[in-house]
Amino acid sequence: MDILWFAVLSLLLAGYFALEGFDLGVGLLLPVTPDRERAIGAIGPFVLANEVWLIAFAGVLFGAFPALETVLSANYAAVVLLLVSWVLRDAGLWFRRRLAVPALWEYAIALGSLGVCLAWGLILAGLAHFPAVVGLLYGLLIAALFVIHGRRFLAWRLTGGGSLLVTGALAAVPALVPLVGMAAEVVGNAAPSENLTMLTFMVLPFVPVMAGAQIWVWRAFAKGPLITYF
Amino acid sequence: MDVLDLARLQFAVTGSLHFLFVVLTLGLAPLVAIMHTRFARTGSTLDERLTRFWGQIYVTNYALGIVTGIVMEFQFGLSWSGLTHYAGDVFGAPLALETLIAFFLESTFLGLWIFGWHRLPKWLHVATIWMVTLTAYASAFWIMVANSFLQHPAGAVGDGNVLRLDDFGALLTNPSLSMALPHVLSAGLTVGGFVVMSVSAYHLFRKTPDQALFSRSMRMGIWTAFVGTMAVVGFGFAQFGPVSGVQPDKFTDKPLAGAALGFMIMIGHLLQLAALLLVIVVKWAPRWRALHPLIIALTPLPFLAAVLGWIAREAGRQPWMIWDRLKVADAITPGLTSGQITLSFVGFVGVLSLLAVADYLLIVRIVRRGPHEIALGERPAPEPVLTY
Repeated sequence: MDILWFAVLSLLLAGYFALEGFDLGVGLLLPVTPDRERAIGAIGPFVLANEVWLIAFAGVLFGAFPALETVLSANYAAVVLLLVSWVLRDAGLWFRRRLAVPALWEYAIALGSLGVCLAWGLILAGLAHFPAVVGLLYGLLIAALFVIHGRRFLAWRLTGGGSLLVTGALAAVPALVPLVGMAAEVVGNAAPSENLTMLTFMVLPFVPVMAGAQIWVWRAFAKGPLITYF
Repeated sequence: MDVLDLARLQFAVTGSLHFLFVVLTLGLAPLVAIMHTRFARTGSTLDERLTRFWGQIYVTNYALGIVTGIVMEFQFGLSWSGLTHYAGDVFGAPLALETLIAFFLESTFLGLWIFGWHRLPKWLHVATIWMVTLTAYASAFWIMVANSFLQHPAGAVGDGNVLRLDDFGALLTNPSLSMALPHVLSAGLTVGGFVVMSVSAYHLFRKTPDQALFSRSMRMGIWTAFVGTMAVVGFGFAQFGPVSGVQPDKFTDKPLAGAALGFMIMIGHLLQLAALLLVIVVKWAPRWRALHPLIIALTPLPFLAAVLGWIAREAGRQPWMIWDRLKVADAITPGLTSGQITLSFVGFVGVLSLLAVADYLLIVRIVRRGPHEIALGERPAPEPVLTY
């Protein structure tokens, strides 16, 4: 059962990197994107469905691996950077068309996206006790992979053609490396098996709905005119 | 202030901000879902504009609910790892279930609803807003399960120097939960009802062109506020029995909790009386202009009462993090420095407060403009036709 929940934990973090990766990549590219309206229109319908993967990851961490929650306080400043950047990026999307001038919020989106990438670098490198400078470099690597993924996504959505699988898989690699490296430690810190059994029984009936809703987002918004709510 | 005070204040401020937005979400979600269902049935322009106008306010409010919620969730790990260390095996379970089977679905379905206009089949689109409503309520349920465990650690047993989950059923039938959950949900309806009637009153008073639309939403607001206040006061008093059973000195020995409780009850009765009088004259209220400024003036009160309610519940829990088991002072992350907590305090409280103000300004602007230029559900501009 602990192996199963480790797989769920890994799936959620890898899924977050692969999915939110292109949103953040498009965000990073905004300052050099000529048609920002279309770029944001392309990611818009996916953002809400993508960012919840990380919230679900945190939930599984608390529920199935509570002893590991100390990784958050051990990387305090980086987690604060992650959250503030994430909030800034989201605020940029919600407020862009509505408050002050769009350019201000577009820079907030870009800055927020950059902050999220750097924070992930710091957190993931911090897990292996690397110094902060390695973390920042790892963050830049993550940002570069997300930019590649974001460009691919824009091409796929706006002009059609090609696939997102390769760049998506690449974007997930920086999350999977530390997870695989720490697999034994993570599994060893799982909650008691009765907890995991209870969680499994509670969550299992909802898995088809969760998967269905996510697939529905892709079926509904992969093609057709762009919807510019953000 | 020392590290502990700052960590507590950070949680209290972000939590209060979060709930200001969440309480309106809980109240508006079912109303928007009802409006949308009616639009799908009648296809009338009035119903469509009603749905999109209130939907736009709902979504704008929701934006801050998400970002404040993100910060809330991670704060447990950042500043309160002593709680996880002692009771993570119990407390983590409802939080995990909230994220997986409630919030994950809520956010995904909300995206489908916002961007699904003119895209999804009519009734499936209606289904998404009902799923958003249902999962918002499920979210409230799991959060209240987690909070009630702090008030009264039911279903857990001591095992060495930590708590273990012993009886999941007892966690869900916690006496601290059974009356508090409907109290919170009906507080949502109260806030939603008063906001809907007050925004309608503004437009009716100003004699803007949408008299029919706002007459309808004012009546809807009055009925919602009536049901909400009756239930919130009823379930509020119904809590005294169970609370005195598990937390006997909750309001008597803690001046802050007692004062917050007293003010909340006073506001609750005032709103209940207002809603009762309004429901008697509900037929004429939209045309009775003298009444409208009074209704508008009441708007902040249900929000204030909602925050006071949390202050009463949480200040009454002090000095315990988990009643009778774990002190707040022992729940803080060991070795948390004042530099760290100052950083997060400035980051979270500063940024979220500014965004909250910005969001309320935006909501006021949407209200003032009225149901004319609503971005939500706009027909997408036709794609430029490529010509050679």
